[in-house]
Amino acid sequence: MDFIIGGAYQGKLDCAKKRYSLTEGEIYTCTEADGIAFGARCIDRLEEFTLWCVRNDRDAVAIMKENRASWQDSVLICQDIFCGVVPMGADMRAWREATGRLANYLAAEADSVTRVFCGIEEKLK
Amino acid sequence: MIVFLSGGAKNGKTALAEDIAVKLSGDGRRFYVATMIPYDDEDRARIARHVEERAEKGFGTLEIPRNIASAADPENGGSDATFLVDSVTALLLNEMYPGTFDAEADPAAAERCRDGLLRLAKKAKNAVFVSDYLYSDAIRYDTFTENYRRNLASLDRALAAVSDTVIEMTAGIPVCRKGRMP
Repeated sequence: MDFIIGGAYQGKLDCAKKRYSLTEGEIYTCTEADGIAFGARCIDRLEEFTLWCVRNDRDAVAIMKENRASWQDSVLICQDIFCGVVPMGADMRAWREATGRLANYLAAEADSVTRVFCGIEEKLK
Repeated sequence: MIVFLSGGAKNGKTALAEDIAVKLSGDGRRFYVATMIPYDDEDRARIARHVEERAEKGFGTLEIPRNIASAADPENGGSDATFLVDSVTALLLNEMYPGTFDAEADPAAAERCRDGLLRLAKKAKNAVFVSDYLYSDAIRYDTFTENYRRNLASLDRALAAVSDTVIEMTAGIPVCRKGRMP
C-alpha cells in the first residue's frame, strides 16, 4: 500500500493519478454521508471516511484492519488536518483525533509514504 | 530567478524573503510590492514603520493591491528590477472582493490573479512571492472561505511550478522543497 498525505488542494490526487496511471474508474472517493467502500485501486479523501466514523460512532482503524486484504495493494490518500488550533467543537476534535490515529496506522503499514506540498512530492518513507 | 515562499503565519517569511531579494538584486533595484490594503490608523502606522525599515535595506515600496503584473511596468519598477510580492494571500482577497466582503466574490478573480502573477514572474528579472499555508487544519469552512482557500492553493501551485526555488518555512526554519536556497 502506498500512502499519500498533504494539506487541502495541494495536488495529492494528481500525484497519485500520475504516478500510478490511475483512471477515474479506479478511484473511490470517501464522503461524509457514505463513509468508505473497499475494492478500488485508489481510495481518496480518507478524512471524509473518518468524519463519517465520528458521526456514526465507528472506529476508523478497526474498520481498516477488518478489511486489510482489500486495500493492502492500494493507493490511499488522506488530507493533513493536524496543524491548526484545537477545534472548538467536540465533533471536530474527535474528527481530528480519528484522522490522526488512522494516518499513523496507515503510514506505519505503508510500503511508501509521500507528502505533497504545492504540487511537489516529498518521500517520507 | 523566481522564488516561492510559503508556510504558517508569524514564521519569518517576510524577513527571509527580504534577505533573498537583497541577495538576488545585488546592485540592481529592488521593490517591496505591498498588496495589503490598510483599513485603519493602526494599519497605516505599522505600514509606515515597515516602509522606513525596508528603505534602510534599499527597497522601494510599490503599493499594488490588484493587477499585480503592473509592478513591472516602466512607470513602476520596470522589468529589470527585483520584486518581493507580499503577499499572494492579500492579492487574491483584494481581487476576489473588490468592494465589500459581504458582496459576492468575483468568480473570474482567481484566473486573473494567476495570469497576473505568472506574467510578473515571466517579465521580472527576479521575483520572490510570499504566500500563506492554510491547508492543514481541522475545520469545515463555510463555502466562501473554502472557495478562497481552493483559489489560493491554485495560485500557490501555479507559482511553485514556475519557480526555480520553493521554500517552506516552519518555526522560522526554511526548507527547500524545490531547487536550492539562493
